[in-house]
Amino acid sequence: MLKKISINKISELAAALMGKGLLLAPVKENSGYNFAEIKNPNQVDLDFHNTIASPKAAFFPHKEDFIKYETGKPIGAASVIGLSLPPTFLFGVRPCDVKSFGIMDIHFNASGIIDPYWKQRREVTTIFGYAFDLEKPAETEEFYQTLGIGAADPEGSDVFMIKKGDDLLLDSVTAKGEKLLAELKNFAEGKVTDKKYYDEYIKKGREYKTRSMCLEPEAITKKLEDLFHNTDFWMGVSSACLSCGICTFVCPTCYCFDICDDTLFGQGTRRRVWDACMFTDFTLEASGHNPRTHVYQRLRQKVCHKYSFHVRKYGVISCVGCGRCTKHCPVNIDIYSIIEDAMKA
Amino acid sequence: MTDFKQIENNLKKEAKRLLEAGEVTVVLAYGRGYDEKHSMPFAAKTSADVEKLVFNEYCNFNMARYLMRYPCGTKIAIAAKAADSRAIVQLIQEEKVRREDLIILGIPAYGMKNQKTDEVVDSKTTCGLYNPPLYNILLGEEVHGQPVVSPYEVLAEYEAMDKEARWAFWKKEFDKCIRCYACRKACPMCYCDPCFIDQSKPRWADKAPQSPGNMMYHLTRFHHLAGRCIDCGECSRACPVDIPLYLFHKKVAKECEEMFGQAAGMKLEDKPVLVDFRVEDSDKILE
Repeated sequence: MLKKISINKISELAAALMGKGLLLAPVKENSGYNFAEIKNPNQVDLDFHNTIASPKAAFFPHKEDFIKYETGKPIGAASVIGLSLPPTFLFGVRPCDVKSFGIMDIHFNASGIIDPYWKQRREVTTIFGYAFDLEKPAETEEFYQTLGIGAADPEGSDVFMIKKGDDLLLDSVTAKGEKLLAELKNFAEGKVTDKKYYDEYIKKGREYKTRSMCLEPEAITKKLEDLFHNTDFWMGVSSACLSCGICTFVCPTCYCFDICDDTLFGQGTRRRVWDACMFTDFTLEASGHNPRTHVYQRLRQKVCHKYSFHVRKYGVISCVGCGRCTKHCPVNIDIYSIIEDAMKA
Repeated sequence: MTDFKQIENNLKKEAKRLLEAGEVTVVLAYGRGYDEKHSMPFAAKTSADVEKLVFNEYCNFNMARYLMRYPCGTKIAIAAKAADSRAIVQLIQEEKVRREDLIILGIPAYGMKNQKTDEVVDSKTTCGLYNPPLYNILLGEEVHGQPVVSPYEVLAEYEAMDKEARWAFWKKEFDKCIRCYACRKACPMCYCDPCFIDQSKPRWADKAPQSPGNMMYHLTRFHHLAGRCIDCGECSRACPVDIPLYLFHKKVAKECEEMFGQAAGMKLEDKPVLVDFRVEDSDKILE
């Protein structure tokens, strides 16, 4: 089902969604846009290129409290913090970021231990994908085309949106999206010409240019395996790296976390907090030994995990080319250039 | 002021000469990043590397941050703008590096820009001095005169706030913190190993990005830099959520200067104010 809404009236759509549950959409903050809970329908603003942080926090929050306990009390006295989630609408997610949810599903929702928190959030959430504006050029940092992702790929979304002049065209991709659009009776259905425009837009999105190179997963995996012990190469590409955690925190596919117990005056919380392989203490063992003491080892781990180990283990590259790591790196380290250099090395 | 292109040429020339003569094993300066606008810190080790060196208005990086990665005794040439040179002076005072191991390639410059916002940083987020206080070779003409704007002028709005307003201001700013630790990693003075925030026995603050832990981290870091911060503004530039860390550092630096008549990293023979004691020292801090 295709719906057509004037962008001026986006707040009406926002209000309708808020009436059904929780709405998460890009909101303008001081330093740029970020996904946030919408309290006032007028806050929704689609005039963004992409958000600073990736939308992964919608399913995998930076901190998640699991258990409350009191020290000195038996374990039975501890209480598990359950989740009670309203239907959630994640609105305005760019196609490359939508792809990242599928990659993250491999770890949290596909095999082995299923993460109940991730799973429940995924189940209650309807994803509104939003195509990049094909009229405007891509940002220099982006390279999703390299990874075979188009600027207007609807896969992975429940409802997919594109811009047509001053209007927004919304099409359902999944049965969940179809049902939701059918329920939004106040909004007009698109015409046949709109459908044609929509289909062509999706097709054109495949040709949208970002930085790109020919990248065979098998070839890059092999190349990085061969380069693994080439210390000079890794020292070279990491010589500027400060070893902070920005790249991993803004990354849509970084999923490492730490479980911590925080106790204050006998009251404790066991929680999960994002961790970053770029931190010195990430691999610090209880014995005091640290297998990754150098910056180059940590950067090598990050790059190889995404482009080599992940391919070996799960068959896909764990990167969607959104370019956030490059854009927010304080010293302009560019993962695309590292991969390019690796292929040439 | 010598233009940036000329400084770049001089930098290349000196770097090449020093590397070829074997006077240094590495030149810490700036290289080209993934495009023209995005330069990055770069360590040139061969004369072929020298061709990759650049200098433009976006080269804000404080190369003093990288000095301690090299073993003591390594002969290093380092490109240093005013604040970077102050950082080197401070590190020498703190005995983290040795003066005789360094050849400082001073860069007299103003009008540096933040690549994210394209705003001129000068005395807003950095110390705004034109000339490096310590150098071996100056890569351009010394800029005459004093900066028109004091580095503390940007504090006017902050200082007009009362105690409660300041507390509310910082609480709000710290709530934005995502604990990526880019501020401490970009800071040339943050070299503690391990940093208190990474310690687990005892754990000084929780790991989650929330208020008590964020507060503990930033306030401790702020105070640990009292009298040591050389006002390069790198912490604020590195911050992905734009916390104006420079305000606190500038405020403390201003108070130190008023109380002890000394700014950090200006003179090699000075001692950092908090390790120096003089009978005539101000007692204002105790009041």
